[in-house]
Amino acid sequence: MSIVRMLLISALLAAPAAIAAAQQPTQQDEFVPISELPPTEQLPAAPLLVGAYVFVLVALFLYVVSIARRVGAVRQEVDRLEGELKARSRS
Amino acid sequence: MPKWFTPAALVCGAMFAVSPLIIANAPYESTMGLVQKVFYYHMPSAWMFLLGALVCGFASARYLATRNDRQDRTALAAAELTVLFGLLTLVTGPLWARRAWGTWWVWDPRVTSSLVGWLIACAYLILRKYGGPGSERLAAAVAIFGMANVPFIYISVNYWRTIHPATSVVPTLPVSMGAPLWFCVMTFLLLFIVLMTMRVRLEESKSRLDALHLALDE
Repeated sequence: MSIVRMLLISALLAAPAAIAAAQQPTQQDEFVPISELPPTEQLPAAPLLVGAYVFVLVALFLYVVSIARRVGAVRQEVDRLEGELKARSRS
Repeated sequence: MPKWFTPAALVCGAMFAVSPLIIANAPYESTMGLVQKVFYYHMPSAWMFLLGALVCGFASARYLATRNDRQDRTALAAAELTVLFGLLTLVTGPLWARRAWGTWWVWDPRVTSSLVGWLIACAYLILRKYGGPGSERLAAAVAIFGMANVPFIYISVNYWRTIHPATSVVPTLPVSMGAPLWFCVMTFLLLFIVLMTMRVRLEESKSRLDALHLALDE
């Protein structure tokens, strides 16, 4: 009986140590170059993030410039034709 | 241009200038980290892309029903904005996916249907440019087809197995991430309204130009 009790006590005492050992990170026995990691773990995020924001802002800016140029060109043509029409009606 | 246009454009520009600061202060997402911040421009772009397709489709349907040229001009302007915002969505999405999913592109329902929607808008513009006389009616039918694709794009993530985040993500965002998102949504919505106004104005000027050409030919 006392042997069983001793075994139970020692098992209870050893359990936390065994759990702690299991939770410890595994010992590193090799160095893995970053190029051998999966793609999701080796890519830096900053260039992709900056690239996305720069692309959005540049595309929007170019579109606004494009509309402004088109509006300007059409308005100029309208003014020219209106002037021509007025001159023709006068003559 | 209407009286509200210049103040709206200035406010929109200021909101765009401030948005990177607000996004920078938003917390990092636990699994994706820094790259998740693409979300704050990607999702508003995607919503404006869908809004553009809806406006284009509704205006085209009204044009087919009434033959009102004003509706046709609205549809054409909205189609161009659909292509613009669709491009922003389809470029920022892969930049995010490359880091988050480990690949630039996946043929999942959300991504594929978005590409289809964008191609439909491109087809509309190509038809309008090179289709010749009468192409506006054919293009209007294409736009209605594009509008029908919008609900499919939106709900696809909820009904099919996909790695794209579901629509349930947005309502569950904490305030620290939701506030920058809604700020960016309002910024993009204001931009959409400003660009739409400019673009419709351009079409009106073009129709005035056509009328002047006709008057001079007579």
